[in-house]
Amino acid sequence: MPDSSCYTLITGAASGIGRATAIRLSATRKLVLHDRDGQGLKETRRLCASPEGHQLWEFDLLEIDKLSQALAAFLVEKSLFVDSLVHCAGIVTILPVKAVTYRNVQEIMTVNFTSAVEIVSMLLKRKPNGGNLRNIVFISSIWSKFGARGHTLYSASKGALDAFMKGLAVELAPTVRVNSLVLGAVKTRMAEQALADPEIAARYRRDYLLGLGQPDYVADAVEFLLSDRARWITGQQIVVDGGRTVDMSLK
Amino acid sequence: MDEFYTKLAEILEVDEVREDSQLESFPAWDSLGVLAAIAMIDSSYGVNLTSTELTGVKTVGEFARLVESRRKA
Repeated sequence: MPDSSCYTLITGAASGIGRATAIRLSATRKLVLHDRDGQGLKETRRLCASPEGHQLWEFDLLEIDKLSQALAAFLVEKSLFVDSLVHCAGIVTILPVKAVTYRNVQEIMTVNFTSAVEIVSMLLKRKPNGGNLRNIVFISSIWSKFGARGHTLYSASKGALDAFMKGLAVELAPTVRVNSLVLGAVKTRMAEQALADPEIAARYRRDYLLGLGQPDYVADAVEFLLSDRARWITGQQIVVDGGRTVDMSLK
Repeated sequence: MDEFYTKLAEILEVDEVREDSQLESFPAWDSLGVLAAIAMIDSSYGVNLTSTELTGVKTVGEFARLVESRRKA
């Protein structure tokens, strides 16, 4: 018997925010866990509630021209529909802008932004997703709204994602709600390199009024946005940053 | 390694660098400058270095030799 009930697709689910979100949602939803890291995916599934109820989709988002087809084939093969998407997959490139190459641009835009376009576009198609998409959450960043040295590409990629989110919210209402979570620094493997620098770690402790973020805090916000309790919220950049961007105190 | 010296000079915002130039003496050799240099040797020479591996490197010449040795390895 093909299982035709609806799943939540989480990209970048092998680590960090994606993994924490998967573990949280696994108690109440059936999940498609996506990542390019197959080992990490298996570990995430092992940590989930009722592991056997979730599907793994291993795919490298950099293979962008094959993404649409691969996702369609996966849905057909597993006979499942996706009603919710959480796009957590993302990379960080820190470079002074004069050192930026077209390859850098292409890579970060592909993973952080273009892949979201391709996935949403495919999930909206009647074949194979049956018009089931209802909810989208993008993981964005406060670097989408503000600048930082060396972060031009990261800011641009998250800015593109947020602008896409707003357009989608309008185009897809009232059927699909679309929001993004604008996050401050969260303790993940991706942030480890920055946090290894004692100077940066000290500055973070000072700048984050509520302390550094944990992946769990993000999972809470994702769970809320996907739920009916957020039924009147769409097209929003919800800032979840421990107070990092509100503090205008003279230092 | 003339090409390496030219590319490094560009990153360090100077006309030229010498083998015995101290990296720390260039104002542009800050955290972003280091990242730019790491990206340059990756894309130009296929050599992957971390910023930690560069902490012991004091001169332009030492840097060039490190890159050269990694290319052969």
